[in-house]
Amino acid sequence: MPTPPLFIADLVVERGDKRIVDGLSLSLAPGEIYALLGGNGAGKSTTLFAILGFLERQGGSLTVGGVDVAANPDAVRRQVAYLPENVALYDHLTARENVDYFLKVAGCPRSRADVDAGFEGVGLAAAAWDERAARFSKGMRQKTAIALALLRETPLMLLDEPTSGLDPAAAGDFHRLLETLGRRGVAVLMVTHDLLGAADTADRIGLIQAGRIAREWTASPTVPRFDLNALHSGFASAR
Amino acid sequence: MTQMIAIAAAELRLMLRSRLALIGLAALLLLSGIAAVTSAVQTASASATRAAAQAATDEQFKTQPSRHPHRMVHYGTYALRPVGPLAAFDPGVDSFTGTVLFLEGHRQNSATFGAARESSDLVRFGQLTPAFVLQTLAPLLLVFLGFATVARERERGSLRALSAHGASAASILGGKVLALGGVALLAMAPALMALAWAALRHPGEGGIATLIALAYGVYLLVWVIGITAISALARTSQGALVTLLAIWAIVVVLVPRAAAGWAGVAEPLPSRVDTEFAIAADLRRMGDSHNPDDPHFAAFKQRILKQYGVATVDELPVNYRGLVGAEGERLTSELFALYAARADAIQLGQSARLETLGVLSPALAVRRASMVGAATDVATHLAFMNRAEAYRYQLIQRLNGLQVTQVSSADDRARSRDPLADQRTRISADFWKTMPQFQLAPSAPATRAAAMLPAMALLAFWLAIGVGLLWLARRNLDQTAA
Ligand SMILES: Nc1ncnc2c1ncn2[C@@H]1O[C@H](COP(=O)(O)OP(=O)(O)OP(=O)(O)O)[C@@H](O)[C@H]1O
Ligand SMILES: [Mg+2]
Repeated sequence: MPTPPLFIADLVVERGDKRIVDGLSLSLAPGEIYALLGGNGAGKSTTLFAILGFLERQGGSLTVGGVDVAANPDAVRRQVAYLPENVALYDHLTARENVDYFLKVAGCPRSRADVDAGFEGVGLAAAAWDERAARFSKGMRQKTAIALALLRETPLMLLDEPTSGLDPAAAGDFHRLLETLGRRGVAVLMVTHDLLGAADTADRIGLIQAGRIAREWTASPTVPRFDLNALHSGFASAR
Repeated sequence: MTQMIAIAAAELRLMLRSRLALIGLAALLLLSGIAAVTSAVQTASASATRAAAQAATDEQFKTQPSRHPHRMVHYGTYALRPVGPLAAFDPGVDSFTGTVLFLEGHRQNSATFGAARESSDLVRFGQLTPAFVLQTLAPLLLVFLGFATVARERERGSLRALSAHGASAASILGGKVLALGGVALLAMAPALMALAWAALRHPGEGGIATLIALAYGVYLLVWVIGITAISALARTSQGALVTLLAIWAIVVVLVPRAAAGWAGVAEPLPSRVDTEFAIAADLRRMGDSHNPDDPHFAAFKQRILKQYGVATVDELPVNYRGLVGAEGERLTSELFALYAARADAIQLGQSARLETLGVLSPALAVRRASMVGAATDVATHLAFMNRAEAYRYQLIQRLNGLQVTQVSSADDRARSRDPLADQRTRISADFWKTMPQFQLAPSAPATRAAAMLPAMALLAFWLAIGVGLLWLARRNLDQTAA
């Protein structure tokens, strides 16, 4: 059996003296898209931090492509593309310079044409490609950061509320992009509050509550893929 | 490594796009350019002036007409301190100490103790020289350019973005050090060119100039590393700025001043007036050559009479007045030497204290290394004073010797009454031409290099502290990547 792109078992993460993640288990197969839902402060972003090694874990096991994050965070980060909740771009650099720089730091520089294609794919207006990020709207920043994450071409993507700030058309485009990623074998763990979007694209949807996956739904091969009513009531009861 | 270089390049690009950074750098380059040029011009003219003055004063002495030797004792001459080969780069204590010394009989003149007034202030702030720019202004510019280098990334969230892209704390800090180090190198360029120029004009000074450049390189590297580390350790860039400005003020301004003050208090140098009173009192105790009842000179007279086996001074085959003059000069000079040795010991002690205090401030250490290397330190000044005093003593005793052997006692006594006798007491003008000239070569570069070693060791110590701080910052970044 090949090593899974992401494997989490009984994860425990504390912040301050609060136990935020408490026995969370979650594994992704290549090409699988997993939507992680949960109320504000449930610990979704914290889980992503733990995967990236930004936060130490107090218990459980966690590997990315078979590599233990605690042992080798830099190696893990090289094979994970991460879209943060709050996108940080350099204001004095253009969208292209930002992307070029982070790609270079990540050790995977891309050609100008590839970057153009990346921007095109996320629907960033061509006029903005060589404009300084200081003047960008939230959605434009988000698109730049998504393009960057996609250009990394990693086997695992961690996306924290990727559609926040995107207009409905852009959000729709993004979901189509996700599907092509899935077909290419990229595993995606996506934190979102967008129930419909999740139901539209995810292979599995997990609800995080009390620091663990409290409920989980798997897409059915037939349409509708998810029972929206069940999702809604599950989500509502979690609050 | 490519990661580190990418991060360094990004930092340099940010500086290039920041008007403030460019203005700051341009201002520093301009200042150090001005410093290099004015300092070179000033030193060159001072050097030429002093050389010309020394030649003129030597010439004047040599072209004196036939004179009684004792008149020449009072006529005197001047010794001018030659300008050090690298003084254009770092004039050191030259600006506070006297450089002209009037040499005459019976007296040791002002410049000797001229340093006394200033010695507690030897490390003085001011004077736009290449050394000053590197010691004082360059660190300040680096602080302004670098205080936010890591703190800014933390505040804007890009620090986490960098580590999410696999940038290790080591390569982030390394990249920042590389970028700021590049700026430091650029900031050093004009001053280093001034140093190179001075070294080129004085063959043999190349090695020591390289050592001085190395000292400044290490000094600024300590700043670069320290600034990066503090920027990474501080919670906010504002906090980093305040901390670094405080450190600059303490390390560059406060500690050197306080250290100089402390050295002056711990080893007080008597004021010149006090010293002169003390010498005068000692002279009175020692004996008065003009008083026939003076016990010292009475004994001296007995000794001379016995030596020549005669009963009276008039029977002596030599000029007794000349002997008395030589004896008097010997006594006073011994006394001068005693006082000068004490003052030297105090000043060298002060300067040793300042050197030790380099453990409190790398600015003190680099200042020391620079002055010693450029031969503009206190020890070099004292060497000039001692050399000049030795020359004076030799000159005066030669003149007294002339009186002893070439001028007859009878003529000497009859001189005021008998113009012919007076004529006979005069020594031919040709004699003055054979008098030795005052000469002083700077100490050998190898000697100076050896004297620089303690200060260089202190700079290495500071580099180790900086690296330690950076290591702390790296651990801190690793732990707080979240
Ligand atoms: N720096 C911190 N120190 C201590 N506790 C923190 C810190 N940051 C977040 N927390 C706590 O961790 C818990 C989980 O936060 P987290 O950001 O993971 O929530 P989330 O599920 O992503 O919420 P949201 O939907 O609002 O993004 C919250 O209770 C929060 O108060
Ligand atoms: Mg969150």
